[in-house]
Amino acid sequence: MTEVLQIKNLTYKLNLVSILDDLTCTIPAGSIVGLLGANGAGKTTLMRLISGVAKGFHGEISVNQQTSVVNRKQQISFSHQLDGSDKRARLAQIVHDYTLLYPDFSATQFQQLADFLELDLHQRLSKLSKGNRNKFIVALTLARQVPLYLLDEPFDGIDVMSRKKIIASILKWKSETATILISDHHVNDIANLLDSVVIVKDKHVVAQEQADTIREKYGESIEDYYENLYTGGENDD
Amino acid sequence: MKFNDKVPIYYQIKQYVYQEIILGHLKAGQKLPAIRQLAVTLTVNVNTIQRALSELTTEGIIITQRGKGNFVTNDTQLLQALKKRIVTEQFSELYDKMLALKITPAEMVQYLKNYIDQRKEVQHD
Repeated sequence: MTEVLQIKNLTYKLNLVSILDDLTCTIPAGSIVGLLGANGAGKTTLMRLISGVAKGFHGEISVNQQTSVVNRKQQISFSHQLDGSDKRARLAQIVHDYTLLYPDFSATQFQQLADFLELDLHQRLSKLSKGNRNKFIVALTLARQVPLYLLDEPFDGIDVMSRKKIIASILKWKSETATILISDHHVNDIANLLDSVVIVKDKHVVAQEQADTIREKYGESIEDYYENLYTGGENDD
Repeated sequence: MKFNDKVPIYYQIKQYVYQEIILGHLKAGQKLPAIRQLAVTLTVNVNTIQRALSELTTEGIIITQRGKGNFVTNDTQLLQALKKRIVTEQFSELYDKMLALKITPAEMVQYLKNYIDQRKEVQHD
């Protein structure tokens, strides 16, 4: 199987504080991978480094054999939190900006996603509920035609129905060759969706395993497996 | 569909297809929904559906026609054997559990008979 993402001995410090230390992992093309870890484990930082938003690391990150930031950025669609966008802007305006900014942005696909997720593009960004804001971010991210998608906590703080809609949209619109890396700290929400999981703890990857292998070999749910790695196998509940 | 967290999803999908066939919801020769549609309906990954279907194809339960899709086999003998296999599997599990409790085969038959009568009564009430 070909690898879409390869990370070797990644070390990253911010203001002399070590955030990631000697992190290594590879992600096969065409899969949906859960990036799991507690809050503050470095999931978002890792995504920012992969996408090239954050710079100044040691080690190697290659996406489809591309290592330079400029080339990497063309291979990746990273779910921006829209912090830089004008809060008063209407959604349609932001979509228009995206079509100008990204040559690989498919307006047709965005429209299908927006219809499916029932987004009202006349609304202003600041007026969106948390659920609709996340739906909008997912639609924007998945509308780009790239090999690798990074979704940072797309289900954080949203209701069950919104979550189900977003999951369905991922299943409906992911092309066979595309790879999606989804970060989450609540595994159960997305367990059925995942091909495999990458677990980040203590600044590096502590485990990487196929989801059905965890169930078959260890007879454990993904959540138990994840929690056991975090608590060191102790049963403290 | 609700999945058991601790059992491989592809395995549960296979069991689901068996069940649909035994119940007659999926008939011999009938076309299965498209893989992506199945993925969305069952809320699981396309790769997981593919793994389940490829094992079902190896077993001969599902026939893949290039460009047309996946169909339940027309081999009714195979489908009857499938039903027998699934029922036997359930009994084999039960048998082992009873044996572990040192219940003799003759007692098992009696227990089963009593249980069936009991269930019948409950349903009549």
